[in-house]
Amino acid sequence: MKLKLILFAAIFGFVVSSCHDLELESKGILDEPALFGTKDGALKYFIQLYSKLPIEDFIYYATGAGNTSGYRPGNNNSWEAYKNSQGQMSGETFGWNVAMTGGGWGYWPYAEIRNVNVFINNFPNYKDKYDVATYNALMGEARFLRAFFYEGLAKRYGGVPIISQVLDPIKGTPEELNVKRNTEYDTWKFIYDDLKFAMENMSSTVVAGRANKYVAAALMSRSMLYAGRVAKYTQYLGLGTDAAVQGGFAGMDPSKASEFFQYAYDAGKLVEQGPYSLYTKNYPDKATNFANLFLDKTSSENIFIKGYDGQVFGHTYDCMVSPSPDFTSFGNAQAAPVLDIMQMYDFPALTDALGKPVRFNKRSDIKNGMEPRLQGTCFFDGDVLRDKAFSIQRGIYVKFTGLAADAQSGSNVAPINSAANRILGIKGQKYNNVPITGDHGMFTSGTENNAMMGAFLRKYVDVSRPKSLVNVNKMSQSWIVFRLAEIYLNTAEAAYELGKGTEALDYVEKIRVRAGCQVTRPALDQSASSPYGYPIEKSLQFIRDERVRELYNENHYWWDLKTWRIVDQVLNNRYARALTCYYVFDEGKYIYLNELNRDNRSITAPKSAAYEKIPQGEINKNTNLLPQNPLY
Amino acid sequence: MKNILYLMLGAALLSLASCQKIDNWDEPAARLYGNVIDKYTGTNLMMDNNDWQIRIIDRTWEKKNPGTVAQYQSIAVMKDGVYNNTKLFSGTYDMLPYDGPFWPVDTVKAVVLDKETQQDFTVTPYLQLTNFIATLTGTNLTLTCIVKAPIITGLPNLYEVKPFLSLTTFCGNSNYINIAEYNNLRKQINKTWAAELTNLKLPAASDAISYTMGPLPVKSGYTYYVRVGANVNALSRRYNYSEIVKVVVP
Repeated sequence: MKLKLILFAAIFGFVVSSCHDLELESKGILDEPALFGTKDGALKYFIQLYSKLPIEDFIYYATGAGNTSGYRPGNNNSWEAYKNSQGQMSGETFGWNVAMTGGGWGYWPYAEIRNVNVFINNFPNYKDKYDVATYNALMGEARFLRAFFYEGLAKRYGGVPIISQVLDPIKGTPEELNVKRNTEYDTWKFIYDDLKFAMENMSSTVVAGRANKYVAAALMSRSMLYAGRVAKYTQYLGLGTDAAVQGGFAGMDPSKASEFFQYAYDAGKLVEQGPYSLYTKNYPDKATNFANLFLDKTSSENIFIKGYDGQVFGHTYDCMVSPSPDFTSFGNAQAAPVLDIMQMYDFPALTDALGKPVRFNKRSDIKNGMEPRLQGTCFFDGDVLRDKAFSIQRGIYVKFTGLAADAQSGSNVAPINSAANRILGIKGQKYNNVPITGDHGMFTSGTENNAMMGAFLRKYVDVSRPKSLVNVNKMSQSWIVFRLAEIYLNTAEAAYELGKGTEALDYVEKIRVRAGCQVTRPALDQSASSPYGYPIEKSLQFIRDERVRELYNENHYWWDLKTWRIVDQVLNNRYARALTCYYVFDEGKYIYLNELNRDNRSITAPKSAAYEKIPQGEINKNTNLLPQNPLY
Repeated sequence: MKNILYLMLGAALLSLASCQKIDNWDEPAARLYGNVIDKYTGTNLMMDNNDWQIRIIDRTWEKKNPGTVAQYQSIAVMKDGVYNNTKLFSGTYDMLPYDGPFWPVDTVKAVVLDKETQQDFTVTPYLQLTNFIATLTGTNLTLTCIVKAPIITGLPNLYEVKPFLSLTTFCGNSNYINIAEYNNLRKQINKTWAAELTNLKLPAASDAISYTMGPLPVKSGYTYYVRVGANVNALSRRYNYSEIVKVVVP
């Protein structure tokens, strides 16, 4: 018995043996050969980089601080991003008071750049696993990603340290690790080299949300245009005595400008060879067509998009720009388009030749003669969204004799605005059985859900969604990072700066035909004026204005103002103005006035806004980053 | 129970033991002060509180810690053109009045700060504002002022002339009634001095231009402190000011 037991134990012990050689390669870990050795692995490696690209989209906090500094991949409180949007900061929209103060928000993506560098350095070890075209395309994609991160840095800081190798934090000496700041010229040239490689090596296959050679060319077009402007116009900032300017870390020699404009021009030409065209699917209704180009995921105009599915990754844009509860199920409207910019489009006259307010039979008649592109960009009174019509009116004038100027921009001290003659109120209030305000503003109290500026944003608002699905982190519109119209405008500006005025206007004409403008091709006018302290030809100013109109609320304006070197001049005590509708009681007609924003609030950007401050925490780690940018 | 008491006692003793009064560094006790003097008038420069700062760099720190790069600290200048900081470490400092409304000055090197050091600066303002008159008509204020540019060669663009109204004696770009009714009456120029003379049809050699701004609506029963500021497009565009005039609105 005992023997049996021992024997049994021995056999059992032998069979159920736990001795294994544990030095096996684990099958559950994606190591470098798995990631870099296969096409899918490389794509997986790139996805985390794509998600962190410096794209100022729906979830970008203009003033966000910290490691991701404004770019918030994932859903971490990104719903409220639009309160702090770049549109608010640059005065494109009016809502929250977002100001450029303190010098910047510390964007410093060297962790991501390191990840790209790991790929670029180690990928050649896996060359034998790919055919030549695939290998080159993947390498080109990595260079594109690196250029994108550097563009995010250069447009903020000017010259930054160029790190193209993987530094070893343990073996590296302090001299190697404390990388010096490169000049701004070298930084933009580094971006140029990366993108040139990408354009020459990537494929032309179109995959939504992924780069190809045309996407690389689009980034080249935009970034080189920025660089050209910086080179040409930094001299007018009057910062010549500053150490960072003298060292070439902030600003470039004006003689370099045409080099960069040429790069931008050439890149634009390459994009045109791609399978893209201006979106015209909804012709002949040019207003709806313009609005839909931002919603149609199959739009032929999209070059590169950042996608949202509304499930795992969603945004909350609609809830932040349309009033609830009529149009959204969450949040409140926080941002409204300002009249100053509306009037840059074809806009109906608000006063007649004598200066008296024009009388309208109904409020929505304001859209008569209005540029279709503006109607596709903003919702005005009477427009329908989710089966409800916008209803916007500020108040009632018992009578209005005299000039629009008598209303003194809406000031309470103007005699015509006495409480007995100008009736203001809140939602639902009536004067002699006539509603004083519209359903969506303008009310005397509250800023949210109140048509502070007399209109709401339409661009990017997803009209096809039922209200119940317009909810927090549930929106699924793609953010269009590059679209063909921007590339046309980039090429137009670069061409004009290179002395090709007629060709530049050809591009502007294409844009304006699609926009439905009254004058599609302005005459070439080379007479110069000097609104910002430097001479600029009328036609170039027109091209710049066209850019403001076409790319309104797409987070271009801030960077454009910065790189034109006029942000401190345009945003110098700039008061947003409102389009206000009144019912004239004794006439039974409506008038529209041009009023000061109700909060009497202005935007000012300091001159230092031309560059952000190199993050102090980084300087404390590495004093080779000095000199600091001007005026900090 | 007893164990818990012992634990608490132990924790209390530990927390007492962790407080130590001795610091390893002396308290910063040196005082650095002085005036910013207008070269033209010989008196202190007219300004507003903390419009711009004096940068100081502690070179002693770099000597004590080889390999480090000392970064500047900013000392605020008060509205009477005086600065005064009593909480600095002794040592050798470089000093630079930076980004003020005057022609750039050289860094004053190696200012030795022991217990008390006075260091005055004489600066050359870009612009001088004189003959400032505030005229009250009913509840409307009109401001007149002569802007003078003693040095025209190399002067950056004349940028703007702006009225500043305040309800306290602090008046200037750091303290003013910041509303559109006043700000929109400022003169936005952004031209070279010569171009502005041509624009206003003044003789080409003039070094003084008279500006009138108004009417600025003011409220009955209030006392306003009023001045005019003008700037050129240099660095952060700080203002040169007129003196402050007190206006009592009946």
